[in-house]
Order: sequence, then C-alpha cells, then structure tokens
Amino acid sequence: MTGIFRPRQLAAIVAAALPLLLAACSGQYPNSTFTQLTDFNRDANGLWNTMMFWATIVFVFVEVLLVYVMFKFRRRPGGPEPVQTHGNTKLELTWTVLPAVILVFIAVPTVKSIWRFQSGAPANALQVDVIGHQWWWEFRYPEQNIVTANELYLPIGRPVNFTLRSADVIHSFWIPQLAGKRDLMRNRTNTLWFTPDSVTPQAFNGSCNEFCGASHANMRFRAYTVSQADFDSWAAGQAANAIFPVAPPAAAPAGATATTVAATTQDTVAAAAPTAGYAFPLSELPPHVLPKTPIPAGLTIADDVLAAGDAQRGFQQYSRSSCIGCHKIRGNPSSLGVIGPDLTHLGSRHTLAAGLFPNDARHLALWIKNARKMKPLASTSMPTLGMGEIDPILKTTVTAGLGGLTDQQISDIVAYLMTLK
Amino acid sequence: MATVAASPTYTDSAGSHRTGIMDWLTTVDHKKIGTLYLHTALFFFLVGGVEAVIMRAQLMGPNGTLVSAEVFNQLFTMHGTTMVFLVIMPLSAAFFNFLIPLQIGARDVAFPRLNAFSYWVYLFGGLFITIPIFFNAAPDGGWFAYTPLTGREYSPGQNLNFWVLGIQILGISSLAAAFNFATTIINMRAPGMTLMRMPMFTWMSFVVQWLIILAFPVITIALFFMQFDRFFGTNFYAVSAGADPLLWQHLFWIFGHPEVYILILPAFGLVSEVLPTYSRKPLFGYAVVAYSGILIGFLGFGVWAHHMFAVGMGPIADTVFGVTTMLIAIPTGVKIFNWIFTMWGGSIRFTTAMKFAIALIAMFTIGGISGITHAAPPSDMQQTDTYYIVAHFHYVLYGGAIMGIFAGLYHYFPKWYGRKMDERLGTWHFWLNFIAFNLTFFPMHFAGMLGMPRRIYTYDAGQGWELFNRLSSYGAFLMAPAFLIFLWNFFRSKTRGEVAGDNPWDAATLEWSIPSPPPEYNFAQIPMVTSRYPLWDITHPERMAGIPHSAEGWDDAKQRTGEHVTSGGKHEADVAPMHIESERRSAKELGIPMPNPTIKPLWVAAGILVLFSSLPVMYAGKNMIAFAMMAIGGSMFVGFLYAWLTTPMEDAH
Amino acid sequence: MAHTAAESHAPTHHYTTTGLDNRKVAIWMFIGSECMLFASLISTYLIYKGKNLVGPLPHEAWTNPQTGQVMPAILDIPVTSVSTFVLLMSSLSMVLALAAVENRGKPVPPGLGGRILSSSKLWLFMTCLMGAIFLGFQAYEFTSFVHEGLTIRRNLFGSSFFTLTGFHGAHVTAGVIWLGTLLAIDMKRGLQPKDAVWVDIAALYWHFVDVVWIAIFTLVYLIQ
Repeated sequence: MTGIFRPRQLAAIVAAALPLLLAACSGQYPNSTFTQLTDFNRDANGLWNTMMFWATIVFVFVEVLLVYVMFKFRRRPGGPEPVQTHGNTKLELTWTVLPAVILVFIAVPTVKSIWRFQSGAPANALQVDVIGHQWWWEFRYPEQNIVTANELYLPIGRPVNFTLRSADVIHSFWIPQLAGKRDLMRNRTNTLWFTPDSVTPQAFNGSCNEFCGASHANMRFRAYTVSQADFDSWAAGQAANAIFPVAPPAAAPAGATATTVAATTQDTVAAAAPTAGYAFPLSELPPHVLPKTPIPAGLTIADDVLAAGDAQRGFQQYSRSSCIGCHKIRGNPSSLGVIGPDLTHLGSRHTLAAGLFPNDARHLALWIKNARKMKPLASTSMPTLGMGEIDPILKTTVTAGLGGLTDQQISDIVAYLMTLK
Repeated sequence: MATVAASPTYTDSAGSHRTGIMDWLTTVDHKKIGTLYLHTALFFFLVGGVEAVIMRAQLMGPNGTLVSAEVFNQLFTMHGTTMVFLVIMPLSAAFFNFLIPLQIGARDVAFPRLNAFSYWVYLFGGLFITIPIFFNAAPDGGWFAYTPLTGREYSPGQNLNFWVLGIQILGISSLAAAFNFATTIINMRAPGMTLMRMPMFTWMSFVVQWLIILAFPVITIALFFMQFDRFFGTNFYAVSAGADPLLWQHLFWIFGHPEVYILILPAFGLVSEVLPTYSRKPLFGYAVVAYSGILIGFLGFGVWAHHMFAVGMGPIADTVFGVTTMLIAIPTGVKIFNWIFTMWGGSIRFTTAMKFAIALIAMFTIGGISGITHAAPPSDMQQTDTYYIVAHFHYVLYGGAIMGIFAGLYHYFPKWYGRKMDERLGTWHFWLNFIAFNLTFFPMHFAGMLGMPRRIYTYDAGQGWELFNRLSSYGAFLMAPAFLIFLWNFFRSKTRGEVAGDNPWDAATLEWSIPSPPPEYNFAQIPMVTSRYPLWDITHPERMAGIPHSAEGWDDAKQRTGEHVTSGGKHEADVAPMHIESERRSAKELGIPMPNPTIKPLWVAAGILVLFSSLPVMYAGKNMIAFAMMAIGGSMFVGFLYAWLTTPMEDAH
Repeated sequence: MAHTAAESHAPTHHYTTTGLDNRKVAIWMFIGSECMLFASLISTYLIYKGKNLVGPLPHEAWTNPQTGQVMPAILDIPVTSVSTFVLLMSSLSMVLALAAVENRGKPVPPGLGGRILSSSKLWLFMTCLMGAIFLGFQAYEFTSFVHEGLTIRRNLFGSSFFTLTGFHGAHVTAGVIWLGTLLAIDMKRGLQPKDAVWVDIAALYWHFVDVVWIAIFTLVYLIQ
C-alpha cells in the first residue's frame, strides 16, 4: 500500500501497451481513415491532426501532472500535515480560459470544413444515386443511365456527388479511405460529395454503418477508382442492355416463351455491336477487397454439375423461374422485377451478396440454392430455391411445387448469369 | 436506556418489525433500499458482463461463428440497455439512497414508501427486459432503437415490445426516485446545511435528479409513440405514412445526452468525496466544482444532435451543435484540474478507493479528449458508428462512471456494513481491472479509425482489424476475473472484513459522524452545521482555517423545530450542535417516529408489471388473456395504491 | 404522492429546510417534468403539421385524388372555444375551493354570498363538474372526428392530434378523480385547514392542466 506504482505493476502496464504501439506502427490497414486520397479526407485529417496536437499537449500535461502529484504528495510516515488550500481564483480562471482558447483553435477549422463540404457539390460533379436496401446497395448513375448494385466506379479527379436515399430502414454509406459517412433514410434525401483526386486506379471497401437489422454486418460494397477513359468504357458497357449471344433456337417452344425468345433475338442483334465495357481487372484486386467469408457447412454443389451448366438452357430456365419477379435484366423482357439488385451486368461484378462472397460460379450457385443460409436475410428477400434445401426462415423444405430448382437447373442459370458481362 | 455499541456482527439496521425476507420486501428504510439497489445492480452487472464476454468471443477473430447474427444483435442491445439502465443508473441510485439522507443530516428521504416503490419497479422492469434473452426473444434494435427499424414493419417480432415497455417501466422508477431525492435535498437538509455546504456527492446527485426530471419525460413520450405505433397502428414513426425518420432520434437524444450526464455525475460526486478524504485536504475550489456540475447539466440539454452529425442536418445545425459540444469540455476540464489540485500538496493515502478515484481522472481525460475529436462534425463523420466511438464512451462510462462507482463502493463499504473491504484483494481488483479495461478498449480506438463499423457480428479477414479485436477480447476475458475478485471481496467482507469503526477514513462529512452501519433513524439528534466539513470542525479544526463558518440558517431552524417539539410534545429536542454519535439505540427508545414497513409499494409495482405484460400478450393475438391481465393489473395498481395512500406512514404518536 | 392523507393528521415533526411541505415541493417538480412531457407532444404535433399524405386535415379541406371525395377541415373552433371556456372557469372555482378550505374555522362572511364562497364542497363539485363537461366535449369531438374519417391510424395528424389531446384528456380525468376523492373526503368528514396542502397541490396540478390546454388550444386550434 505504499505507492501506486510497484515496479512489477509498471512492467505489466508497459507489457500491455507495447503490442498496441507496435500494432499502430506496422501492418496493413486497408480501411484506414487516415488517407490523403480525397479532398474530404485531407480536410478531416487536417482537423484530426490539429485536434491531436492539442489533445497530446493536454493529455501529456494532465497525466504527467497526475503522476507527479501521486509521487510527490504520497503519504510518508511522519510526514507533515498538508497545508490546507481551498481554491485559488487565478489558477481556476487559468484552467477555464486556457481550454477555451484551445477550443477556438479547434473550432475555427471545424466550422470552415463544415461549410466547405455542406455547401453543395461542385457543378461538374458526377451524380450517383445511392439507395440503401436491407441488406445491399443500389447504385444509379442518372446521367449515364446505369443501374447497378454493390460496386461503384468513380473516375479519378472528378468530384462525385452522392444522393442518398433508403428503401427501408436507415443505413449509412461509408468508404473510410475516401470520405466520412452519411445516413440514408426514407422521406429524406441526403448528399455527400468528395473528389478522389489523389488516387491511382484502386479498389476500396465500403460498408453500412448504421445498424439496420440482422445482416447489418453483411452490407458491404466496393468502390473502384478508375481513369476517365476506363470509366467511360465501363459506363457505356453498363448502360447497354444485357449481351447474351443466343442463337435463334431451331424449334422454339410454343406458348409462353415464344415472345421471350423473339425479343431476345432482337436484342441480341441490336447489342451485337458493342462489346462488354471495362471492368476493374480481377487480377489487380488487392487481397482485402476479395471476400473471404466461408461457405456455411452443408451447402455444396458438385463440380461436374456446375461445370455442365449451359447458358442457353439457363436463360430459358431463368426466364420462367421466380427470379424474374424480383430481378431485372435489361434485354431480357421477362425479367422486370425491381425489388432485388439489377442483374443486367452481374457478370461484370467481382462480389456477390453485398460484398460478402466472390462472384464466381460456385458462390453464385450456392447463393441461388440457399441464400438464406449464406447470409441472414429478411423473409421478403432472396428465397431458398435449391430443391431439398431447408429454408432457414420458413423452416420448410423446398420442393418442385414451391419453385425449387435442381442443381442442374441452378448450374444452367449460373452459366447464363455469368455471361452477363 | 440500553446502549448498544457498534457490534461487528451487525449487518442490518436495528429495530425492524419483521425479519428475514419479509423485512426486505416491506422495508421503507432508505439504507436498506440502497442495499437492494446495490445487489440487484451488481447482479445485472454480471449479466451485462457475460453478454459482453460472449460478444468479445465472437469478435475475437474474423468470420466468427460462436453466435448467430440474431443472437449477437440481442447481445449488444441488451449489453447497452443493461449497463445504462440496469447497472450504472441503479448503482448511482444505491448511493443516492444510502448517502443523500446521511450526507444532509436527514432521517430518511422525503417519501420513504415512494422510495420502496421506485426500487420494486426497477427490479420488475429489469427482469421484464432481461428474461426474454433466455427465450431468444430479447430486444435486438440497439439500446438506441432507431426507427423505422424498430417499427412493426421491420421488427415484427416480440423482441422490441419488451424493450419499449421495459424502458417505460424503468422510466417510472427513475422519475419517482428523482422527485423523491430532489425533494429530499431541497427540503430535508439539517439546519445550517446550506446549498453551498452540501457534500459534493449530494450536489452532483441534485443536478442528476433535475436532469432525470427534465429529460425522462421526453423519452417517455418517444416511447409512447413507439408503443402506440407497435400496438395500435399509429404513424409517428411510420415512414410509409410520411413520418420523419429523425423524430425518434431527436427525442431519443434530447433524453440521451442528459442521460450521459445522469450516468457520469454521480461518479464525479463520489470521487469528489474520496479525493479530499485520502489527500487530507478539502476539495479544491468547491464552488467551481459545484457550478461546473450545474453547467455540465445545463449544457447537456443543448448538445443532443452531436449524436446525429451523419444524418445530414445541414451546416448551421452542425456548426451550432459542434461548438456547444466543445464548450462542455471547459467545465469538465475544470473539474479534472480541481481534483488534481485537491491532491496537490496533500498527504495522499493510496487505498483502493483512492486508486479508483485517480483512475477515473486519468481515464476520463482520455474519454474527454476523444470526445472533442468527434465534436468536430467533419472529423466525426469518419468516427461515428465505428469502434472509435465504442472506445470513447467506454472510457467515459467505464473509465469514468464505473471507476468512480468502484471508488465509492470501497470508500463507503465500511459505512454500509461496518467492515472494510479487503485492501489486498482490492489492489488485485484495481490493477487487473485497470489493465483489462485499457487492453479491452484502447485498441478499439485503432479498430474504429481503421474502418471497423460498430454493431457488426462478423467481419472479414484481412481488413486490418484482427490484432485489435484479439487484444480487445483478451482484455474482456481478463476483466471477468477482475470483477469476480471484486464480488468475492464484497460478499466476504460483509461478514469477515476488518471492523471499521465510525469514521475509518478520517472523512469530513455528516455520514461519518454516526455509527457504522448507521442506525435506522440515522441521527439521534439532527446536527447543526456551520461549515462544509462539519466533522473536521470537530476532528481537525486545524484544517478548517480558510473555510467560512457561520450559524446561517440556525435561528430559523431552531424556531421551527421548537414549534414542532411543543406540538409533538413527546420526543427530545431534535436538533443539537454538531456532534459525534457513537451510541446505538433504537428509534423507539429515542422516541423517533419511523415509517412503518409496508408491502403495498411492492404490490403497486407488481400491478404495473402485470399491466405492461398484458401488451405483448395482446400483440400475440391472445386478446382475452390480455384483457384479463389488464383487469388484474389495473385492479392491483388502483387497489394497493388506495390502500397505500390511506394507511398512515407512521404509527400515531 | 406517497404521503398519505392520514399522516397529515400527525403533527409534522419533520423539519423542512424551505418551510414548505415536501408534497408541495414535489408537485412543483412534477409539474416541471410534465412541462417537458407536453412540450414533446406539442412539438411533435407541430413538426408533423402539413406533412400528411392523406386527409382529413385540421384547417383545410382535402380531396382524395383517387376517389374525388372531399373531406372537410376537421377542427371545430367554436365548439372547442366553449369547452376551453368551461375549463378556464374551472380554475376559478378551484381557487375558491382552496380558499374555502384554508379559511375553514374562520368566521364565515355574512349573507348568502359568504356562505356560498366558504363552501369548499360546492367549489370542489363545480371544479369536478366543469372538468367532466370538458371531457364530455372531448368525447363528442373525438367521436365526430372518427365519423368524419379521422382515426388515430389515419394519418400523421390523426396520430399526433389524438395522442396530444388524449394525453391532456387523461390528465383532466386524473384531476377529476383526484378532486372527486377530495370532495368525497370533504363530504365525509370535512376538509380542515391542515388538509389544505392536499387541496393546494391538487389545485396546482389542476391549474397546470388548464395552462397546458391554453397552449394546446392556441397552437393546435387557433394558429392555422
């Protein structure tokens, strides 16, 4: 009980603090907010540095003073009775006024920054509409006529102005390396703008930051900064209808699908000229952008079945399945749903299920088979479709009568969807 | 005239009419009610702690699979709700109950039976909101319960019903207690105990009661809206009917920010008692510490929207709320410096209580500084809803409120139970807790600024967050044994601790002038106070040189008491000059009328519980059962309230 | 709230710092708290004013774009003015009731007027009656609004209007029950000056409820 710090205890504190210090100085932090990549973050970091400058002074002063007092004025046997003081107006005035002065140094750049980024985006800004859904992101580029999901393309050096809305609950849009976050709400429209002016062609992670229900943690997205030329190519590709090179079937099935086939044929002709637009090369994606979410146990699809998927059959299958009720594929006239993500260029995306899985044939097949097992979902969203699978929400087994799909059928649909570059 | 010396085996206040469990169920003694609050809150502390440890186990590595998203969301909702409403507030309430009457020289609170009622409502509300977790139906909308997520459309299950009704029940308890304590402090101070002589804990408690009185009605209304929306189909938060999704957020934070000060100010009060005592010096700048507490409380009502910088309020609102938030740093900083200068030049004894009090200064400073960084909206937009915020408010609420409450517990345990807590175990508790706390929460600053959102049940590998999460989890696993050491020490010391005596720490305020534990009547004769440190007037007159003394308020009091003595006729003069009481007699011997024990407040509280429980039953479509429950609950409430109001509080004398 | 009517029979040996009764201090704080309660309700009403997606609306007619059906403006200011007047008058009789209890035991002023003024039973009854009349008006108002198509679920106006005025009505109801209880005690054994604190706090509460209504009447009914 003699002193507050025994050597052993001191050592313990240092031992505990050391790894933290080491951690702070090394390693890769792909979602760091301490970047200089955009005007927004340079402002926020300038502010942070100002505050940290004063904070460090205050912190060191207070803690050193505290430790000094603890050692200097600890009770010693036979020590004198302390001199009684009850206050000191000058001192107290000092530690009232000094913090106030420090706060002025912080408040002025704060207010400047507030007005800079909340007074409307520059006129030349690229407009992007962001619509939050439980639990995925819809991105629209109204000027380019693009509707896509979960992956953003931003041209380097041009301001981008996001218009933020929600289809349901409150979400929050955040790309830590590029800017601060803003909430998405119904009945209110928010905006956020920044200029990715100091970036190379890079890939970034984004996330939802307002708790929005069961899969809040699984509401992620990706942002790619690309050159203006690549952006234009990507935009042209995304704006075009789906390119699905189906040959006119020899014997068109009569009835329901006849019109579909005819329409598709036309589209195929119309879309024959443009090729798929630019996509951020998969090979250049850094590891932190590639999802590593494990596949839940017990959910499988055989390799040979998957490999045997046929896009043509898949197209037919897709166009008469329940998929079309929720998803849209421009160019496939039967696929007109608007509740789910737009699949027109699904094949051009690198991730699936709001950044949760890589967008490859296997993950896509398993997603179709039992999405609700791969990610907690609402009862109104992506159903379990694999025949014989148990729906985790309804607790029922999927049968043909309920629109169940066999592994073969799923593989076919996957083959079709993967062609939609 | 039998005289009973402070006996080591003594655990309860003397002279109760009943024994055993009935004694506790019917007590209206503020000290026993304080004890009930304390034990119940410690139980919920354990519950909230287990929830936290499970969460940390889930987040120890990426893509954790220990619990599902569903369970995790219930865990973090309940952890927040439990710690705020069922742990820190009631722990503060335990001290309000036990200490306020003792510190101001009163024999009880203004409304003893209302006080018992507050406790029972708290207990029932706590159970109502906690028990569903065992049925996987606990609230899962976050402790902030943002609409429209928590509306019926997006949360159709029963989960949120338990939250909205449970918080409503707990609000009744807090409000009833606040009216009671505010009245007590305004009206029941000993002669000469002017406002500027009140012990600092009583001062801070006084501010807190006002915050509760003015902030809780706002959340009451916000909850009524949510309740009506969920149960009766109104549109307050129904976005499909054009409702504003921010209405709830504004109402919630107009309550929620004062709530932060409701949580922290009692702890500030406690350390303001602890620091002078173990430094052998009066509090430095008493008046400034008191005024800064008032100022913090006042400003606390004007800064709520700093929780909402990401919602897009526009530059004017962001500027106003950013700057006012920064202003709060000034009175808070003043307190910190006044505490340090209380120790300056002192003769500091490092008891466990003192260590926790110093830890509060050191840790709260960190929380305060991180608070400044998100008072600046552009900076906050990078921080809000990340783990940086989690780190910040744990430094404020654990590093501040909990550290202060631990300091208070070690300090006041001898007064409460007549025995000291073990200092060796206390030292272990302190250091383990201090290290575990920093190990848990410091890395969260890094995780947050490096992009990790809050309230996520899982995160992907390779995001740069693994190390920080692992450290945080280790910290949480270390915090559990620290708390268990405390519990062991606490319960063991009640019966086996060193006998403390009346004033073991050589403290200065009225509660130390009477036996430990205090007799049921507290003061045989109400002391007449002449200064801020009445007991040091007797024990250490040399320390009192610069402290103003006067008989202010005496004449008035003497005159009024004189009237009462003649009209009452039976008992001795109630008031005597400042003195030390070491004799323990019974209230009956002394002719002090004590309120009778009664079980009615418990039954009234039970009536409220039944009434509220009927709503989830109705929600489940079982209308007949629900109506029956309403009828039963309503009759219990009205009947027992009537019985309570028509029974005299004390025997006729 | 917690102290009993009966315990005020005992001599108040409790010394109070302010010299005021604890109950009186508590009721003032309760009223402070209630101010915040009604402020929240009234603010919500005002925030949602003009944000309705469907009618009926408080001050203007609304045409259903689908059916062409016209829903007239819903608030009936003349009728509510009458009930407001009644409630205001009840505050006056409340003052007279309190004065009558406080002056009990002093000589009654001569004449019929003196006897009437000193009758606490009469004035308590009148206060209760006027409170009940106000509630009757409110019941009528609510029923007619529902017939005109405004329910608590209909729109934001319906939700916030019924909740705000309903909360006020519940407060009036509680006041009527409280005053009714005092009246019953007065009939049974006669309220004495030592009971005045009970009448006093009931009166404070009653006046507060009145003042709140003036705010509601102005902000909800009169200001368009």
